Amino acid sequence: MATQAGTEPAHIRRRRRLRIDLTTPSLLGLPVAYLVVFFLVPIAIVACYSVDVYSINPGKHSFTLAAWHDFLHSSVYLGLFWKSVKMALIVSGIIVLLAYPLAYFLALSETKRKYVLLLVLIAPFLTSYLLRVLAWKVILGNQGVVNTFLFWTGLRSADHPISQLLYSRFAVMLVLGYVWLPFVALPIFVSLESLDRRLLEAASDLGASRRQAFRRVTLPLSLPGVIAAFLFVFIPTLGEFITPSLVGGTSGYMYGNQIVDLFETGFPDWETGSVLALFLLGVVAILTVVFARFLRAPQLETS
Amino acid sequence: MDAALSKNGARLLRAFFALVVVFLYAPILILLIFSFNNSQLPSFPLSGFTLHWYHQFLTNADLRAALETSTTVAALSSIVAVALGILASVALVRKNFRGKSPVTALLLSPLVIPYVVLGVSLLLLFQTVGINRSIFTVMIGHIVLSLPYTILVLMPRLQQIDVGLEEAAYDLGASRLRTFRSIVFPLILPAVVSAYLIAFTTSFDEYAVASFVVGPTRITFPVYLYSALRFPNNLPQVIAVAVVVMIVSLIVVVGAEIGRRIAERRLGALDV
Repeated sequence: MATQAGTEPAHIRRRRRLRIDLTTPSLLGLPVAYLVVFFLVPIAIVACYSVDVYSINPGKHSFTLAAWHDFLHSSVYLGLFWKSVKMALIVSGIIVLLAYPLAYFLALSETKRKYVLLLVLIAPFLTSYLLRVLAWKVILGNQGVVNTFLFWTGLRSADHPISQLLYSRFAVMLVLGYVWLPFVALPIFVSLESLDRRLLEAASDLGASRRQAFRRVTLPLSLPGVIAAFLFVFIPTLGEFITPSLVGGTSGYMYGNQIVDLFETGFPDWETGSVLALFLLGVVAILTVVFARFLRAPQLETS
Repeated sequence: MDAALSKNGARLLRAFFALVVVFLYAPILILLIFSFNNSQLPSFPLSGFTLHWYHQFLTNADLRAALETSTTVAALSSIVAVALGILASVALVRKNFRGKSPVTALLLSPLVIPYVVLGVSLLLLFQTVGINRSIFTVMIGHIVLSLPYTILVLMPRLQQIDVGLEEAAYDLGASRLRTFRSIVFPLILPAVVSAYLIAFTTSFDEYAVASFVVGPTRITFPVYLYSALRFPNNLPQVIAVAVVVMIVSLIVVVGAEIGRRIAERRLGALDV
């Protein structure tokens, strides 16, 4: 298109440019307007609630940063946030470490039908999230599959089930890892798949051992995929509330649960809830902007 | 010599892969087994085969209503999401305009927003403006979530289409709409179908946002499921539903992927 443009008569070129200029707003108008109204404006409204410009309490309200001040000086909310950060870091770290060899195997071992195997790996991710959590509830409960299996085989007495299995921080992290593991392999696979194999051959010709070639060539080149994978899990896990509310009990309670509770319990506190929600959004936004170049590339290459 | 993997290394990795696949599928298999187990509690020892739970859920009116609601919500919200996604993708792939990167960032940003934050935001929006919560408010939320996925599926396909085809159609006097209908749309149809299916499954399975904006009367399937999980005597029934939903979604997902591959290969054979 660009090469032809120079040889065209001026009036045709002008008409074409006119046509293009006219269509861009008409194409983007609806999708952008939709997200402005149902995505950006709602967030702005949350911001208004967080500074008490809007409130569920009747009466006149004026701008105040009291809720923000309380939040930033609250050991409860910030402590909960750090606990969630730690849990999300552990989960994301462990499953990226587990997923890397899987992706490596699929991308580099010259297996036939690697795409079939990839689909086998990813398929569970595409089934219902809640139902996969349900499966673990059935497995881990005091009267669940693991414990009753142990009673039945006599490995443990029925009076002493392993009670920390369900409703614990461990359960939350196990289930989150289970839920996200298939997905994490994907961006790593994409980055390894696009690796030029000749680089490895060159390394080996130049006398590098496999281990050296991995450390100096493969690993650095797949790092963007690894970082993307890590963030794809870390971000949703940080704000997670479904899994902890189903299998977490009190010790698995996370920051996301606190947000939900501030909006849904008998004593709602929308002002504080809005502060918590915006703080989480801010942290996620910063992470996304800082790592944007890692997030974008693999996504577009995948499809 | 293979530069990436030794023979033993490959063997080790294959075993590890198999182990992970077992870990991923075992819970699903366990649900399958216990859905046929003749006991109120999903526990060992197994106490006989029954289809009772499947029968019970088929006759459970609340559950069927929830499944119908979710199907409606998913079907309609996905149509809107795909339509908006097509408009946005055509603009992003074919046009150059000022502010392209912030617009792209806005269109893709729902991918990274924590669902709890989106749920809260929409709840406050509807509350502030005075819109009652219903299946429509759920659809509004699900369109926000699905839109970026449809764009990510549609854009690469649009990029593959030769612009020359569209220009030829223009030059032969076709209008923009006609060109899109007769040239572009048929060529991106496989991607449109997979975008629709991704949007559909996203919506059908979505709990977090729906839990904030769902109305009191017509609840979606995940919302029903979540509340049912709190009552243990519902558990066997829920397990039976779980098995059916999982198997159906696995078939749809795998089928869609295979279908898309075949369709795109055929279109590829036409050299376009």
